[in-house]
Amino acid sequence: MLSCRLWILKVINNSATGIYIHVPFCLQKCSYCDFYSLPLQNGDSLEKYTKNLLREMEQQAANWENRQFSTVYMGGGTPSLLSPEQINIILTDLEHHLHILPQAEISLEANPATLNSDRLQELKSAGINRISLGVQSFRDEELKILGRIHGAQAAMEAVDDIIRAGFENFNLDLIYGIPGQTHDDWIYNLKMAVSCGPRHISTYLLQLDPCVALAQQIKAGKYKALSEDQEADMYYDALDCLINEGFHHYEISNFARPGYECKHNLIYWQAGEYLGLGPGAVSFRDGQRWMNKEIKSCPEITSQTDTVAVETLEIMNDRDRFVDAVVLGLRLTEGISRQQFMDRFGIDFYQEYHSIIEKFSREGILLADQDRICLSHRGYFLSNQLLAELL
Amino acid sequence: MQDKIRNFSIIAHIDHGKSTLADRLMQFTGALSEREMREQFLDKMDLEREKGITIKLQPVRLDYKARDGETYILNLIDTPGHVDFSYEVSRSLAACEGALLVVDASQGIEAQTLANVYMAMDLNLEIIGVVNKIDLPGAEPEMVKQEMENVLGIDQEEILPISAKLGIGIEEVLETIVAKIPAPHGDEKAPLQALIFDSYFDAYKGAISYIRLDCGELRKGDMIRMMSSGKEYEVIEIGVISPYMTQVEVLRAGEVGYMAAAIKNVADTKVGDTITSAVRPAAKPLAGYKEVKPVVFCGLYPLENNEFDKLRDALEKLKLNDASLIYEPESSDALGFGFRCGFLGLLHMEIIRERLEREYDLTLLATAPSVIYRILLTDGSEIFVQNPSRWPDPQRIEKVMEPYVKASIMVPNEYVGTVMELCQEKRGSYINIEYITPQRVLISYNLPLAEILFDFFDGLKSRTKGYASLDYELKGYEESDLVKMDILLNGEVVDALSTIAHKDKAYYRGRTLVEKLRKIIPRQMYEVAIQASIGNRIIARESVKAMRKDVLAKCYGGDITRKKKLLEKQKEGKKRMKQIGRVEVPRDAFMSVMDIESDK
Repeated sequence: MLSCRLWILKVINNSATGIYIHVPFCLQKCSYCDFYSLPLQNGDSLEKYTKNLLREMEQQAANWENRQFSTVYMGGGTPSLLSPEQINIILTDLEHHLHILPQAEISLEANPATLNSDRLQELKSAGINRISLGVQSFRDEELKILGRIHGAQAAMEAVDDIIRAGFENFNLDLIYGIPGQTHDDWIYNLKMAVSCGPRHISTYLLQLDPCVALAQQIKAGKYKALSEDQEADMYYDALDCLINEGFHHYEISNFARPGYECKHNLIYWQAGEYLGLGPGAVSFRDGQRWMNKEIKSCPEITSQTDTVAVETLEIMNDRDRFVDAVVLGLRLTEGISRQQFMDRFGIDFYQEYHSIIEKFSREGILLADQDRICLSHRGYFLSNQLLAELL
Repeated sequence: MQDKIRNFSIIAHIDHGKSTLADRLMQFTGALSEREMREQFLDKMDLEREKGITIKLQPVRLDYKARDGETYILNLIDTPGHVDFSYEVSRSLAACEGALLVVDASQGIEAQTLANVYMAMDLNLEIIGVVNKIDLPGAEPEMVKQEMENVLGIDQEEILPISAKLGIGIEEVLETIVAKIPAPHGDEKAPLQALIFDSYFDAYKGAISYIRLDCGELRKGDMIRMMSSGKEYEVIEIGVISPYMTQVEVLRAGEVGYMAAAIKNVADTKVGDTITSAVRPAAKPLAGYKEVKPVVFCGLYPLENNEFDKLRDALEKLKLNDASLIYEPESSDALGFGFRCGFLGLLHMEIIRERLEREYDLTLLATAPSVIYRILLTDGSEIFVQNPSRWPDPQRIEKVMEPYVKASIMVPNEYVGTVMELCQEKRGSYINIEYITPQRVLISYNLPLAEILFDFFDGLKSRTKGYASLDYELKGYEESDLVKMDILLNGEVVDALSTIAHKDKAYYRGRTLVEKLRKIIPRQMYEVAIQASIGNRIIARESVKAMRKDVLAKCYGGDITRKKKLLEKQKEGKKRMKQIGRVEVPRDAFMSVMDIESDK
């Protein structure tokens, strides 16, 4: 059972390093979103943002000159609000200042409402080779509850444009567990997504921070949240459906055609290092995690001149890094390797977590063999039970 | 000298303003300056001030210059206003010649007050009626006076209307005390007889007794003897409380004061005991002494197993100050090591538990309270069981007896029906109904004490909109058809959740309890079966379905730190659960056993 999950990811290089570029602007905040974002006021902000970003790259160049980057990921926010020219400048400068590997995966998160054929052509020429499309749902009433600015039709059109522009590698994001959503609705969304021909599908359970608009609407009785059982059923519906369609389920919420797993996100889950650029972006290196200061409003962007201020999030010793890697690594369906962890951290997790591994194996949450431990089919959706004890 | 002394108590229901009146008396007589005034001076414990109830009494001596020009010594001996402490009340009253009966002008007499007034009358105390809170909008002083005359035979004309809060009528109270309460008249030349009406533990001086001298005199350096135990001590300090401790050379017959004699434990200065001279002892002790025995028991367990020693130390320290608290170590399969503790009643239990948690920084699990059952075994022997897990095999039981109380419930007459219904549901047997006034009724019932422990107060309160008051006294044991009911989690008996129930009610209790546990026990990684059983027979069953979702759907570079914090919080939350077999049970589950809603 374990071995069959393994074959795919062996190509991934453990020492891969990634670049994350945070583009915080959105036209409108989605009702479920608790990420850092700013309402975009005018094009001027994007221009200033780009300038600041270029300066930041230049400043970081020396610190990261000995690194080779295998991925670049532009996330947000809505990075597709940037013009193809701006993205072109950013990517060109990036290659100028930092060592980006020739085969690097260069992703752009995009909102269907912000795309058209021409833009996509230009984005492709600028060097983007992977699009992650925030579809979320193919049903208008669900999109409305989520506060998305696009309808189902726009998503379908965006997919056509992406394919026509020649992007072979694109991802669709889906959300399930939306108030009012039924089993059939969810199956419909999954089938629609598959029919679009993506190489990658992410399916996320709607999990609301209490402060977001949708959480408050639910609290006020406007919508009714789904039950734990409904949510779990939907999760396993996705697994059944997508695996059946030939997708490789490689992380708790992620599926890909074999070989199209998101290299950038794998860096996170394999506890690799990454450079974060742009306001609110997080970097991880040498056991330290830090975050660029968030900019609280668009006018503030213009005032930014000097080095980006950072906030330290975590400073980890060797053991902390080991624990971090365990907790992240177990999100991958292939789990973690005892030998690899011994080589990397000098710690044997079988020894370290002997009783926990035994307990969770007994409960059918964890699978273990000579070298590996990984979550069971049932364990994916109960993983916090295990992860909390590993901390 | 004795003719200038007046020893008196204040009898009042909770909230009828006893502590406020005491404050006013102190203020009026100058015992406290304005600067020293603070609310409820005599309630020393924070807990008392917070709950607004007096638990531990604290005497005070007031010097009052009366209108006749003479200065009188007024010794106020405060009394605790709760049924759990009625023995202490009786000893406080025994130290007095008179009592102020304080009744709230809008509430009228309550059951508890009535019991205490009867006690004072039995001890031949002069009763001075006082109607308090006459300033409140809902006050009906004339009606309350009428009630006091009808019920207690106190002449309406002589009842004093006051407002302790506003300081109205305070001087009249003091004058009446001087005029009507008899002075003590003990023989100063006779051998010493001093009544201990309270004691507490002081870290430097040891046990300190509050005493009232009936005969003889007491000096520093005297050798004294405790008449109940025969133990002898040398007096190292005596004094009066006015309201701070002030040393004196001698205390004489009729006086009230304190005594320290290097006594290491308050258990050696029992309330109600008589102190006499070791050199010239009295022939017999003062009447009325008895050993106070706990009537309610529960197991107290530290939530963290490694806090057992800390709990033991804390109990030892509390015991120094509270001779009525008893405890012994016990162990439970479910809860580990803890103590079986005995209390005077539910309030006493609650106070001790709260003090342990608050003053000693412990987190405790308390099992449901139990009374002491008397069980006659088939082999002719008799045992007492206060811990359900020690209940003998039903085959060996000949008959079971449980403690009964006579309960007196005072209530406006429109609630008579519903109160009687409640008493019937609680296995009560009717004694009588007495009309105190056309509007107010005193209902008497025989009730099993155990039923009073289970939400009787709450039931009474909700059915009467809070207008009922309850008093009870132990009557003895009566035979009952009782069974032990166990709770099983995934097939394993949770000893800490076993309870004793009447056979007719066990099914209902089992059902309710199992349903309650189903709601309280969170979904776990596996299905949890919750069962109630009597012997081998399962009488109720519920299950908690296996948990299906506990996941972070999204976890990427930007929010790893935050997501780890969520997991850490979850881990912390687990610490507040108790692992029983494979099942994690929140600590409330144990207390939930006791507050099953009454049968509707």
